[in-house]
Amino acid sequence: MNCVGDDMGVIVRTAARATIPLIGIFGAYIVAHGHLTPGGGFQGGATIAGAGILFLLAFGLKEMKRHFNKNLYSALEGIGGLAFLGAAMLGIGVAFFYNTLWHNGPFLNGKPGTLLSAGYLPIMNLAVGLKVFTGLVSAMAGLALYRRWRE
Amino acid sequence: MKRTLAYLSLLFILGVLLYVANPNYGLKFGPGGKEWLSLRYTDNYYITHGLQEVGGANIVTDIVFDYRGYDTIGEATVLFTAIAGAVALLRPWRRDER
Repeated sequence: MNCVGDDMGVIVRTAARATIPLIGIFGAYIVAHGHLTPGGGFQGGATIAGAGILFLLAFGLKEMKRHFNKNLYSALEGIGGLAFLGAAMLGIGVAFFYNTLWHNGPFLNGKPGTLLSAGYLPIMNLAVGLKVFTGLVSAMAGLALYRRWRE
Repeated sequence: MKRTLAYLSLLFILGVLLYVANPNYGLKFGPGGKEWLSLRYTDNYYITHGLQEVGGANIVTDIVFDYRGYDTIGEATVLFTAIAGAVALLRPWRRDER
């Protein structure tokens, strides 16, 4: 039993183990339905990052070090930004940020209000959500991992 | 005494705010009603045309990702730069590793 301030004890760990999946599912729902209901990439990504920060707080730094891969998260953040730019480039024949998937695209052009509609908006929401989630978790893990002061 | 004075001043500020914020006889923060429609026609344009031009049922997402896409690119770049800078500054330096 380690009881010197690494994790937050059995009660908080059990509660976090129960609530982290729910927070993650709720954030994924916000991201995926960003073009239909209030919310979007930024808000949903921040919600999922809240689940990651809760993991860091509840389980402590040692457990976070085992599960957090710095290079993977950096790569995912770059991929999110590039996917956002790529979705904006799709309609470059008319203009930057032209929603060509919605006007005459092969897919994602269903009836407005359904999940597979609105052209590049779901792609952009997913990209921005991924970017915000990985970025915020990286910042929090950087703050926790690379601290300068002594214990 | 002091506490009573504090509550009285809070009540006074509340009254002043209620008077000022009333649209009938208080201060006017920008136009309203018919005048609003003639001046702020872009708002009305987004509400009426957003669904068929962009396709999202959430008008805010339509504006953020389509009409104001460049702004969102800047926002994402700011976030990326801030986190890159934070991680670059916080990582263990060569001096600390000794």
